[in-house]
Amino acid sequence: MRTAFCFDVDGTLTTTEILPCIAAELEIADEMAALTRVTMDGFIPFEASFRLRCAILGQVSPDRVRAIVADVPLGRELLAFIQERPDDCFLVTGNLDIWIEPIVAICGCGFYSSDAEFVDGRLKVKTVLNKADAIHDLRNKRDFDRIVAVGDGANDCSMLAAADVAIAYGGVHTPVPSLIQRAKYIVNEGETLCRLLSTL
Amino acid sequence: MSPVVNAVIAAAGLGSRLGHGMPKAMIEVGGQTLLSRMIKTLQPLVPNIYVVIGYREELIIDHCARHHPKVVLVRNPDFRTTNTAQSYAKAGEHLHGKTLFVDGDIIVSPESIRSFLERATGCSLLIGLTEPLSEDAVYARIDATTEGLTVLGFSRSTRSKHEWANLVVGPPNLLEGAEGYVFERLLEHLPSPAGELVMSEVDTQSDLERSIRFVTSL
Repeated sequence: MRTAFCFDVDGTLTTTEILPCIAAELEIADEMAALTRVTMDGFIPFEASFRLRCAILGQVSPDRVRAIVADVPLGRELLAFIQERPDDCFLVTGNLDIWIEPIVAICGCGFYSSDAEFVDGRLKVKTVLNKADAIHDLRNKRDFDRIVAVGDGANDCSMLAAADVAIAYGGVHTPVPSLIQRAKYIVNEGETLCRLLSTL
Repeated sequence: MSPVVNAVIAAAGLGSRLGHGMPKAMIEVGGQTLLSRMIKTLQPLVPNIYVVIGYREELIIDHCARHHPKVVLVRNPDFRTTNTAQSYAKAGEHLHGKTLFVDGDIIVSPESIRSFLERATGCSLLIGLTEPLSEDAVYARIDATTEGLTVLGFSRSTRSKHEWANLVVGPPNLLEGAEGYVFERLLEHLPSPAGELVMSEVDTQSDLERSIRFVTSL
Protein backbone atom coordinates (compact mmCIF):
# COMPACT_ATOMS: atom_id res chain seq x y z
CA MET A 1 0.00 0.00 0.00
CA ARG A 2 1.46 3.33 -1.08
CA THR A 3 0.94 6.12 1.38
CA ALA A 4 1.43 9.79 0.58
CA PHE A 5 2.17 12.24 3.41
CA CYS A 6 0.94 15.79 2.79
CA PHE A 7 2.12 18.67 4.93
CA ASP A 8 0.94 22.23 5.21
CA VAL A 9 3.95 24.56 5.23
CA ASP A 10 3.20 27.67 7.33
CA GLY A 11 2.92 26.72 11.00
CA THR A 12 3.30 23.00 10.34
CA LEU A 13 6.65 22.51 8.65
CA THR A 14 7.86 26.01 9.48
CA THR A 15 8.04 27.01 13.12
CA THR A 16 7.08 30.59 12.32
CA GLU A 17 4.70 31.92 9.67
CA ILE A 18 6.29 33.08 6.43
CA LEU A 19 4.18 36.08 5.43
CA PRO A 20 4.92 38.08 8.62
CA CYS A 21 8.65 37.65 7.92
CA ILE A 22 8.17 39.17 4.49
CA ALA A 23 5.90 41.90 5.89
CA ALA A 24 8.64 42.87 8.34
CA GLU A 25 10.80 43.75 5.32
CA LEU A 26 8.28 46.44 4.40
CA GLU A 27 7.84 47.44 8.03
CA ILE A 28 4.15 46.64 7.86
CA ALA A 29 4.18 43.59 10.13
CA ASP A 30 1.38 44.92 12.35
CA GLU A 31 -0.88 45.78 9.44
CA MET A 32 -0.26 42.38 7.88
CA ALA A 33 -1.03 40.69 11.21
CA ALA A 34 -4.34 42.57 11.40
CA LEU A 35 -5.27 41.42 7.91
CA THR A 36 -4.28 37.84 8.73
CA ARG A 37 -6.30 37.84 11.93
CA VAL A 38 -9.40 39.10 10.16
CA THR A 39 -8.95 36.32 7.60
CA MET A 40 -8.46 33.59 10.21
CA ASP A 41 -11.63 34.79 11.94
CA GLY A 42 -13.44 34.27 8.68
CA PHE A 43 -14.42 37.87 7.88
CA ILE A 44 -12.64 37.82 4.52
CA PRO A 45 -12.61 34.70 2.32
CA PHE A 46 -9.17 33.11 2.17
CA GLU A 47 -8.62 33.62 -1.55
CA ALA A 48 -9.48 37.34 -1.54
CA SER A 49 -7.33 37.91 1.50
CA PHE A 50 -4.44 35.99 0.03
CA ARG A 51 -4.51 37.94 -3.24
CA LEU A 52 -4.61 41.17 -1.23
CA ARG A 53 -1.65 40.14 0.89
CA CYS A 54 0.30 39.17 -2.22
CA ALA A 55 -0.51 42.51 -3.84
CA ILE A 56 1.01 44.23 -0.82
CA LEU A 57 4.00 41.93 -0.38
CA GLY A 58 4.60 41.81 -4.13
CA GLN A 59 6.50 45.05 -3.71
CA VAL A 60 9.41 43.02 -2.38
CA SER A 61 11.51 41.43 -5.11
CA PRO A 62 11.18 37.62 -5.37
CA ASP A 63 14.92 37.20 -4.84
CA ARG A 64 14.70 39.09 -1.55
CA VAL A 65 11.61 37.07 -0.54
CA ARG A 66 13.36 33.79 -1.33
CA ALA A 67 16.35 34.87 0.76
CA ILE A 68 13.99 35.54 3.69
CA VAL A 69 12.18 32.24 3.16
CA ALA A 70 15.48 30.33 3.07
CA ASP A 71 16.04 31.48 6.66
CA VAL A 72 12.62 30.53 8.03
CA PRO A 73 13.20 27.79 10.62
CA LEU A 74 11.80 24.34 9.86
CA GLY A 75 10.77 21.66 12.37
CA ARG A 76 13.83 19.44 12.72
CA GLU A 77 12.10 16.09 13.14
CA LEU A 78 9.55 16.74 10.41
CA LEU A 79 12.25 17.83 7.97
CA ALA A 80 14.21 14.64 8.68
CA PHE A 81 11.05 12.56 8.15
CA ILE A 82 10.48 14.17 4.75
CA GLN A 83 14.10 13.87 3.67
CA GLU A 84 14.04 10.16 4.51
CA ARG A 85 11.16 9.48 2.10
CA PRO A 86 10.97 12.38 -0.37
CA ASP A 87 9.04 10.42 -3.00
CA ASP A 88 6.15 9.88 -0.59
CA CYS A 89 5.99 13.38 0.86
CA PHE A 90 4.31 16.48 -0.51
CA LEU A 91 4.19 20.06 0.71
CA VAL A 92 0.69 21.43 0.18
CA THR A 93 0.65 25.18 0.61
CA GLY A 94 -1.51 28.12 -0.36
CA ASN A 95 1.71 30.10 -0.49
CA LEU A 96 3.32 31.03 -3.82
CA ASP A 97 5.62 28.74 -5.77
CA ILE A 98 8.08 31.54 -6.51
CA TRP A 99 8.39 32.30 -2.79
CA ILE A 100 8.58 28.86 -1.20
CA GLU A 101 11.08 27.45 -3.67
CA PRO A 102 13.96 27.42 -1.10
CA ILE A 103 11.92 25.28 1.32
CA VAL A 104 10.95 22.84 -1.43
CA ALA A 105 14.64 22.57 -2.35
CA ILE A 106 15.65 21.79 1.24
CA CYS A 107 12.93 19.15 1.55
CA GLY A 108 13.60 17.54 -1.80
CA CYS A 109 10.00 16.38 -2.07
CA GLY A 110 7.01 17.15 -4.27
CA PHE A 111 4.73 20.11 -3.74
CA TYR A 112 1.42 21.73 -4.57
CA SER A 113 1.14 25.50 -4.20
CA SER A 114 -0.48 28.66 -5.48
CA ASP A 115 1.34 30.12 -8.44
CA ALA A 116 2.43 33.53 -9.50
CA GLU A 117 4.73 35.27 -11.88
CA PHE A 118 6.81 38.38 -11.42
CA VAL A 119 6.72 40.39 -14.64
CA ASP A 120 7.93 43.96 -15.18
CA GLY A 121 8.47 44.42 -11.47
CA ARG A 122 4.94 43.36 -10.53
CA LEU A 123 3.68 40.24 -8.89
CA LYS A 124 0.68 38.57 -10.51
CA VAL A 125 -1.01 35.71 -8.70
CA LYS A 126 -2.28 33.22 -11.29
CA THR A 127 -4.02 30.53 -9.25
CA VAL A 128 -4.70 30.11 -5.53
CA LEU A 129 -4.49 26.46 -4.54
CA ASN A 130 -7.53 24.64 -3.20
CA LYS A 131 -5.78 22.08 -1.05
CA ALA A 132 -8.42 19.40 -1.64
CA ASP A 133 -7.40 19.42 -5.31
CA ALA A 134 -3.91 18.31 -4.27
CA ILE A 135 -5.37 15.31 -2.46
CA HIS A 136 -7.53 14.36 -5.44
CA ASP A 137 -4.56 14.64 -7.75
CA LEU A 138 -2.48 12.34 -5.57
CA ARG A 139 -5.27 9.79 -5.37
CA ASN A 140 -6.28 9.79 -9.02
CA LYS A 141 -3.17 10.65 -10.99
CA ARG A 142 -0.30 9.59 -8.83
CA ASP A 143 -1.51 6.20 -7.74
CA PHE A 144 -1.31 6.52 -3.98
CA ASP A 145 -3.66 4.19 -2.08
CA ARG A 146 -3.75 6.16 1.11
CA ILE A 147 -3.26 9.84 1.85
CA VAL A 148 -2.23 11.24 5.21
CA ALA A 149 -2.63 15.02 5.69
CA VAL A 150 -1.17 17.25 8.39
CA GLY A 151 -2.19 20.87 8.89
CA ASP A 152 -3.00 23.58 11.39
CA GLY A 153 -5.04 26.34 9.77
CA ALA A 154 -8.51 26.97 8.38
CA ASN A 155 -7.36 26.55 4.78
CA ASP A 156 -6.26 23.00 5.65
CA CYS A 157 -9.86 21.95 6.33
CA SER A 158 -10.57 20.82 2.77
CA MET A 159 -7.28 18.91 2.68
CA LEU A 160 -7.96 17.04 5.92
CA ALA A 161 -11.54 16.32 4.86
CA ALA A 162 -10.34 14.77 1.57
CA ALA A 163 -7.51 12.73 3.12
CA ASP A 164 -7.74 9.18 4.51
CA VAL A 165 -5.96 10.02 7.74
CA ALA A 166 -6.34 13.57 9.04
CA ILE A 167 -3.96 15.05 11.59
CA ALA A 168 -4.28 18.47 13.19
CA TYR A 169 -0.90 19.77 14.30
CA GLY A 170 -0.57 22.10 17.25
CA GLY A 171 3.21 22.28 17.50
CA VAL A 172 3.40 25.91 16.41
CA HIS A 173 -0.02 27.27 17.28
CA THR A 174 -3.36 25.85 18.35
CA PRO A 175 -5.22 24.27 15.45
CA VAL A 176 -8.41 26.13 14.58
CA PRO A 177 -11.66 24.48 15.83
CA SER A 178 -13.01 23.86 12.33
CA LEU A 179 -9.85 21.91 11.54
CA ILE A 180 -9.98 19.90 14.75
CA GLN A 181 -13.48 18.76 13.78
CA ARG A 182 -12.05 17.19 10.63
CA ALA A 183 -9.10 15.53 12.35
CA LYS A 184 -8.75 11.98 13.62
CA TYR A 185 -5.52 12.74 15.46
CA ILE A 186 -4.28 15.86 17.23
CA VAL A 187 -0.56 16.09 17.86
CA ASN A 188 1.20 18.95 19.60
CA GLU A 189 4.86 18.19 19.16
CA GLY A 190 7.23 17.41 16.26
CA GLU A 191 8.88 14.23 17.49
CA THR A 192 5.52 12.76 18.49
CA LEU A 193 4.09 13.65 15.07
CA CYS A 194 6.89 11.79 13.31
CA ARG A 195 6.47 8.76 15.54
CA LEU A 196 2.77 8.69 14.69
CA LEU A 197 3.46 9.07 10.98
CA SER A 198 5.96 6.20 11.10
CA THR A 199 3.34 4.03 12.79
CA LEU A 200 0.59 4.67 10.26
CA MET B 1 8.81 -11.64 24.87
CA SER B 2 7.84 -8.14 23.80
CA PRO B 3 7.28 -4.98 25.81
CA VAL B 4 4.13 -2.92 25.97
CA VAL B 5 4.76 -0.03 23.56
CA ASN B 6 1.39 1.72 23.42
CA ALA B 7 -1.06 2.93 26.06
CA VAL B 8 -4.58 3.94 25.04
CA ILE B 9 -6.45 5.93 27.68
CA ALA B 10 -10.22 6.15 27.16
CA ALA B 11 -11.47 9.64 28.03
CA ALA B 12 -14.28 10.15 25.52
CA GLY B 13 -17.37 9.36 27.58
CA LEU B 14 -19.85 11.50 29.46
CA GLY B 15 -19.41 11.47 33.20
CA SER B 16 -23.15 11.53 33.73
CA ARG B 17 -23.36 9.73 37.06
CA LEU B 18 -20.94 12.07 38.68
CA GLY B 19 -22.68 15.12 37.25
CA HIS B 20 -19.64 17.37 37.01
CA GLY B 21 -20.41 18.29 33.39
CA MET B 22 -16.90 17.47 32.24
CA PRO B 23 -15.05 14.32 31.22
CA LYS B 24 -14.33 12.20 34.29
CA ALA B 25 -10.66 12.13 33.39
CA MET B 26 -10.57 15.88 34.03
CA ILE B 27 -11.80 15.60 37.62
CA GLU B 28 -9.09 16.66 40.06
CA VAL B 29 -8.07 14.41 42.89
CA GLY B 30 -5.20 15.29 45.19
CA GLY B 31 -4.28 18.35 43.12
CA GLN B 32 -4.09 16.67 39.72
CA THR B 33 -6.60 15.63 37.09
CA LEU B 34 -7.12 11.87 36.82
CA LEU B 35 -5.84 12.13 33.26
CA SER B 36 -2.60 13.89 34.20
CA ARG B 37 -1.99 11.40 36.96
CA MET B 38 -2.49 8.47 34.57
CA ILE B 39 -0.28 10.00 31.86
CA LYS B 40 2.49 10.77 34.34
CA THR B 41 2.28 7.25 35.76
CA LEU B 42 2.49 5.66 32.31
CA GLN B 43 5.02 7.98 30.67
CA PRO B 44 8.15 6.34 32.19
CA LEU B 45 6.78 2.88 31.36
CA VAL B 46 5.27 3.10 27.87
CA PRO B 47 6.76 5.02 24.89
CA ASN B 48 3.56 5.93 22.99
CA ILE B 49 0.53 7.33 24.80
CA TYR B 50 -2.83 7.93 23.11
CA VAL B 51 -5.84 9.59 24.71
CA VAL B 52 -9.26 9.02 23.14
CA ILE B 53 -11.45 12.10 23.43
CA GLY B 54 -15.06 12.96 22.70
CA TYR B 55 -17.29 14.62 25.30
CA ARG B 56 -16.04 18.18 25.79
CA GLU B 57 -12.92 17.28 23.87
CA GLU B 58 -11.74 20.88 23.80
CA LEU B 59 -11.03 20.70 27.55
CA ILE B 60 -8.71 17.75 27.11
CA ILE B 61 -7.12 19.10 23.92
CA ASP B 62 -6.23 22.31 25.72
CA HIS B 63 -5.06 20.50 28.86
CA CYS B 64 -2.77 18.15 26.92
CA ALA B 65 -1.39 20.94 24.71
CA ARG B 66 -0.34 22.74 27.88
CA HIS B 67 0.77 19.90 30.12
CA HIS B 68 1.31 16.76 28.02
CA PRO B 69 2.53 17.78 24.56
CA LYS B 70 3.88 14.31 23.80
CA VAL B 71 0.56 12.47 23.89
CA VAL B 72 -1.45 11.82 20.73
CA LEU B 73 -5.13 12.70 20.95
CA VAL B 74 -7.53 10.45 19.04
CA ARG B 75 -10.95 11.91 18.37
CA ASN B 76 -14.08 9.85 18.74
CA PRO B 77 -16.78 12.25 17.54
CA ASP B 78 -19.42 9.50 17.90
CA PHE B 79 -18.91 9.35 21.66
CA ARG B 80 -22.63 9.79 22.38
CA THR B 81 -23.54 6.62 20.52
CA THR B 82 -20.43 4.49 21.00
CA ASN B 83 -18.85 2.90 24.05
CA THR B 84 -15.39 2.40 25.56
CA ALA B 85 -14.67 -0.70 23.47
CA GLN B 86 -15.31 1.31 20.32
CA SER B 87 -13.05 4.12 21.51
CA TYR B 88 -10.32 1.53 22.05
CA ALA B 89 -10.90 0.09 18.58
CA LYS B 90 -10.64 3.55 17.02
CA ALA B 91 -7.31 4.23 18.70
CA GLY B 92 -5.97 0.74 18.01
CA GLU B 93 -6.66 0.98 14.28
CA HIS B 94 -3.19 1.98 13.14
CA LEU B 95 -1.08 0.84 16.06
CA HIS B 96 1.55 -1.89 16.11
CA GLY B 97 2.88 -3.72 19.12
CA LYS B 98 1.53 -4.64 22.50
CA THR B 99 -1.03 -2.15 23.78
CA LEU B 100 -2.38 -1.29 27.21
CA PHE B 101 -6.04 -0.28 27.11
CA VAL B 102 -7.06 1.61 30.24
CA ASP B 103 -10.00 3.73 31.41
CA GLY B 104 -9.21 7.38 32.01
CA ASP B 105 -11.21 7.61 35.22
CA ILE B 106 -9.12 5.35 37.42
CA ILE B 107 -6.13 5.94 39.68
CA VAL B 108 -3.63 3.11 39.71
CA SER B 109 -0.64 2.71 42.01
CA PRO B 110 2.61 3.19 40.06
CA GLU B 111 4.19 0.09 41.58
CA SER B 112 1.30 -2.20 40.67
CA ILE B 113 1.06 -0.93 37.08
CA ARG B 114 4.80 -1.30 36.65
CA SER B 115 4.64 -4.93 37.78
CA PHE B 116 1.63 -5.51 35.58
CA LEU B 117 3.38 -4.15 32.51
CA GLU B 118 6.51 -6.17 33.26
CA ARG B 119 4.40 -9.32 33.52
CA ALA B 120 2.64 -8.34 30.27
CA THR B 121 5.98 -8.52 28.44
CA GLY B 122 5.68 -12.28 28.57
CA CYS B 123 1.97 -12.62 27.67
CA SER B 124 0.00 -11.90 24.53
CA LEU B 125 -2.98 -10.96 26.71
CA LEU B 126 -2.97 -9.89 30.34
CA ILE B 127 -6.22 -8.99 32.08
CA GLY B 128 -6.26 -6.47 34.93
CA LEU B 129 -8.04 -7.39 38.14
CA THR B 130 -8.48 -5.61 41.44
CA GLU B 131 -10.24 -6.15 44.74
CA PRO B 132 -14.00 -5.61 44.37
CA LEU B 133 -15.04 -2.00 44.97
CA SER B 134 -17.60 -1.03 42.33
CA GLU B 135 -21.32 -0.86 42.70
CA ASP B 136 -21.82 -2.87 39.52
CA ALA B 137 -18.67 -4.96 39.60
CA VAL B 138 -17.85 -7.52 36.96
CA TYR B 139 -16.40 -10.32 39.07
CA ALA B 140 -13.73 -12.64 37.72
CA ARG B 141 -13.64 -16.36 38.36
CA ILE B 142 -9.99 -17.27 38.64
CA ASP B 143 -7.55 -20.06 39.04
CA ALA B 144 -4.46 -19.33 41.09
CA THR B 145 -1.21 -21.23 40.65
CA THR B 146 2.39 -20.52 41.58
CA GLU B 147 2.86 -18.92 38.14
CA GLY B 148 0.05 -16.45 38.73
CA LEU B 149 -3.64 -15.89 38.18
CA THR B 150 -5.73 -17.10 35.26
CA VAL B 151 -9.19 -15.74 34.49
CA LEU B 152 -11.68 -18.49 33.66
CA GLY B 153 -14.85 -16.43 33.44
CA PHE B 154 -16.67 -13.20 34.33
CA SER B 155 -19.96 -12.74 36.16
CA ARG B 156 -21.96 -9.84 37.53
CA SER B 157 -23.83 -12.08 39.95
CA THR B 158 -21.34 -14.61 41.32
CA ARG B 159 -19.12 -12.64 43.65
CA SER B 160 -15.43 -13.36 43.98
CA LYS B 161 -12.31 -11.79 45.42
CA HIS B 162 -11.40 -10.20 42.10
CA GLU B 163 -13.13 -7.58 39.97
CA TRP B 164 -12.36 -6.71 36.32
CA ALA B 165 -10.22 -3.60 36.59
CA ASN B 166 -11.02 -1.98 33.20
CA LEU B 167 -7.42 -2.38 32.18
CA VAL B 168 -5.96 -4.94 29.78
CA VAL B 169 -2.83 -5.49 27.69
CA GLY B 170 -3.23 -7.12 24.31
CA PRO B 171 -2.75 -6.70 20.56
CA PRO B 172 -3.80 -3.33 19.08
CA ASN B 173 -6.80 -4.90 17.33
CA LEU B 174 -8.09 -6.52 20.53
CA LEU B 175 -11.33 -4.51 20.46
CA GLU B 176 -11.77 -4.36 16.69
CA GLY B 177 -15.45 -4.71 15.80
CA ALA B 178 -16.50 -4.95 19.46
CA GLU B 179 -19.95 -3.57 20.16
CA GLY B 180 -20.54 -4.42 23.80
CA TYR B 181 -18.53 -4.13 26.96
CA VAL B 182 -14.78 -4.64 26.88
CA PHE B 183 -15.02 -7.66 29.19
CA GLU B 184 -17.48 -9.30 26.77
CA ARG B 185 -14.78 -9.25 24.09
CA LEU B 186 -12.33 -10.74 26.60
CA LEU B 187 -14.69 -13.73 27.08
CA GLU B 188 -13.60 -14.90 23.64
CA HIS B 189 -9.99 -15.11 24.84
CA LEU B 190 -10.47 -16.99 28.10
CA PRO B 191 -8.78 -18.61 29.89
CA SER B 192 -6.22 -15.85 30.08
CA PRO B 193 -3.45 -14.76 32.43
CA ALA B 194 -4.34 -11.92 34.78
CA GLY B 195 -2.48 -9.48 36.98
CA GLU B 196 -3.59 -7.59 40.07
CA LEU B 197 -3.66 -3.82 40.33
CA VAL B 198 -3.94 -1.57 43.34
CA MET B 199 -6.32 1.12 42.20
CA SER B 200 -9.35 3.26 42.75
CA GLU B 201 -11.98 4.23 40.21
CA VAL B 202 -14.11 7.37 40.04
CA ASP B 203 -17.63 6.52 38.90
CA THR B 204 -19.83 7.87 41.70
CA GLN B 205 -19.60 10.50 44.42
CA SER B 206 -18.57 7.91 47.02
CA ASP B 207 -15.90 6.62 44.60
CA LEU B 208 -14.57 10.16 44.42
CA GLU B 209 -14.36 10.46 48.19
CA ARG B 210 -12.65 7.09 48.45
CA SER B 211 -10.23 8.06 45.67
CA ILE B 212 -9.19 11.20 47.49
CA ARG B 213 -8.21 9.03 50.47
CA PHE B 214 -6.56 6.47 48.14
CA VAL B 215 -4.34 9.11 46.58
CA THR B 216 -2.90 10.12 49.91
CA SER B 217 -1.80 6.53 50.43
CA LEU B 218 0.25 6.39 47.22
